[in-house]
Amino acid sequence: MSDFSGMEDLLQDFLQEAHDLLSDVDNKLVDLEKMPDDKGLLNDIFRGFHTVKGGAGFLNASELVTLCHLTENLFDRLRNGELELTAELMDVIMDATKGVREMFGELGQGVQPQPADPHVIAALQGALNGDLHAAAAPAVAAAAPVPPSPPVSGEPDWASLQAAVTGEAAQPAQGELITRAEAVAAAQPAAAVAVQAASGKEAPSPFGRRASDRPAGQPSNARRAEERGRENTIRVDTSRLDQVLNLSGEIGLTKNRLTSLRADILAGKSDSETLHALDQAVSQLDLLVSDLQNSVMKTRMQPIGRLFQKYPRIARDLARQLGKDVELVLAGEETEVDKTMIEDLADPLIHLIRNAVDHGVEMPEERAAAGKPAKSLVRLEARQEGDHIVLIIADDGKGMSAERIRAKAVDKGLISEEEANTLDERQSLNLIFLPGFSTKTQISDVSGRGVGMDVVKTNIQKLNGSVEIRSEPGKGSVFLISLPLTLAILPVLLVLLGDQPFALPLSLVREILPIDQQRIQEVGGKETLVVRGEVLPVISLARLLGWPTDRSPEYGVFMQTAERSFILGVDSFAGRDDAVIKSLEDFRPKGVAGVTTLSNGQIVLILDMKELLTDFGQHVDAGTAIRNFEFS
Amino acid sequence: MAADPKTRFLVVDDFSTMRRIVRNLLKELGFTNVDEAEDGAIALQKLQGGGFEFVVTDWNMPNMDGLTLLQTIRATPNLKHLPVLMITAEAKKENIIAAAQAGASGYIVKPFTAGTLSEKLNKIFEKYGQA
Repeated sequence: MSDFSGMEDLLQDFLQEAHDLLSDVDNKLVDLEKMPDDKGLLNDIFRGFHTVKGGAGFLNASELVTLCHLTENLFDRLRNGELELTAELMDVIMDATKGVREMFGELGQGVQPQPADPHVIAALQGALNGDLHAAAAPAVAAAAPVPPSPPVSGEPDWASLQAAVTGEAAQPAQGELITRAEAVAAAQPAAAVAVQAASGKEAPSPFGRRASDRPAGQPSNARRAEERGRENTIRVDTSRLDQVLNLSGEIGLTKNRLTSLRADILAGKSDSETLHALDQAVSQLDLLVSDLQNSVMKTRMQPIGRLFQKYPRIARDLARQLGKDVELVLAGEETEVDKTMIEDLADPLIHLIRNAVDHGVEMPEERAAAGKPAKSLVRLEARQEGDHIVLIIADDGKGMSAERIRAKAVDKGLISEEEANTLDERQSLNLIFLPGFSTKTQISDVSGRGVGMDVVKTNIQKLNGSVEIRSEPGKGSVFLISLPLTLAILPVLLVLLGDQPFALPLSLVREILPIDQQRIQEVGGKETLVVRGEVLPVISLARLLGWPTDRSPEYGVFMQTAERSFILGVDSFAGRDDAVIKSLEDFRPKGVAGVTTLSNGQIVLILDMKELLTDFGQHVDAGTAIRNFEFS
Repeated sequence: MAADPKTRFLVVDDFSTMRRIVRNLLKELGFTNVDEAEDGAIALQKLQGGGFEFVVTDWNMPNMDGLTLLQTIRATPNLKHLPVLMITAEAKKENIIAAAQAGASGYIVKPFTAGTLSEKLNKIFEKYGQA
């Protein structure tokens, strides 16, 4: 099925590199809108298309070559000042870029790209033709005075070669591709008709699919499939790989040392010198293994900029569609994040950016009326804070009104009036994460595409992360996403029930406090504790697990999951640990995220608080008391 | 200079896929002693380091393009005798003339096959052999 047998490696390389190149071009295009005369930008974009064209030629992807060639010619004109960059021309260029991206998608599936959308080709040619006569004349005139063959001394062969090429190719060079493109364009209407006639999606016509599914403006399936296909490879800085290699070598040496020490010890040698050597070797191994773990982890780390660079274009297109003027400002692109996490963050981030542009930011008139600058800023920032990555999506729009959100949630029947009254501002804002919540009554075709804010939250939680909203009416909203550095190692708090340790994800733990039975108050039949003015339910871990609850917990762990804050009652603590999670595959009891082994070899269950609590909520508390805390 | 399989090549292109393509084609022709550079500036540095016998360079590159690289090579006493094969996507008259004037040893238009490359290389080898 592949059109590229024998060239798969080359194709993969090309796609990976060309993708980066195109993202770069996309961003430069966004910049170009602000600085249409920037020669440097024009040159870079020209070179981008030119380079893709060159590579595509080797893959025989003639349609991609044609599209890039036309676009490149356009930029050649632009950078030479022969054409002016108008808004219409910008749209044509954006469409062409999109076309190129879609062709990458097809290439990723191992098929030769279909011809580009005839409208795009026609528009490109129109743009080129618009000034073609005026522009072509000086170009020819400039070329003409150059003596056709000034034989450089000592290079007779090259002179004749040059004469051969110029004599033969001078005409077609300008004409050839354009004629081909024209032929394509001419063939298109006929093909489009053919497609309408033959209503099959897999029309045999080489022009079939494009003509039929382009206008929808959706990213093609091909592209998505292709992106999924790329997940299997990773680009790693060679110095990082060298480090891994180095450490494995060192570990090998230390292992040899231990082997020889073992022989000594087995032979009965147990003098202090041998034991000291053993101690040293083990400590060294300890250090090396943790270094190795870190290094291996680092090979999976990628700068988040790779993800970010797709967004300015998305924000720009969306803003234009909505008639808004929005600039997406990126910061902290160099922040490194685990590769799998980058992939899983792509959709939630797109959604939050769309949300900011669509719902967060006002129309230009509204902004003018509010005395704000016409251009709105949406900031996308990443930074590392300790062992966490923080992502920030902030807009300077109208902000969110807790009042309106509460009213909406009640309206939609998501919460009751009484529940609404008990919610503070933060809890109210969090209501937007409830499934079925959308602040706009009218679903726009941009944000309202099935993926709601609840999905954003679920996806972030899957990564052991959390989302927080801050908003100031009139000033804007901020979404703060906090994520662990890696998914492979989970910092846990070890708690004890009797003698049995359990591990809780440390990311959920806010603080640890002793439980004074005197201070426990009963509210609606539930045990609660007031911590700094906040009323928190006390849930005993023993009860959650269905253990006998004959004695009251002595310590409380103040935990904050995405849905609620509460105090988990436990007997005691065993400390903290960096757990390497082993999944339980098929055999997974509810409420258990996985297992880990302690240093003494003991197996410990890592609890999935969310699952445990859902269970708890349903069985013990179908009513209201806990539900109030669902949104805290 | 004959078509010695040990001829040391420097392939200059900003697009790594393209460098790999050229490297593979050269390998197909039996030339395995190949180094790469990402642009003209890096290429010059490597060339100054010595040991290279043949330069295959792209035209359009950031920092220093292929034509400037070629001109610089021709203007540098210890490099000016190096054969330089220009690669470009364009078969434009102006480009070819510019390359000729700058002293390119050959000119090849993308995409090309091992056969075409071999033909161009042999012509250059012949010429340098005569000189």
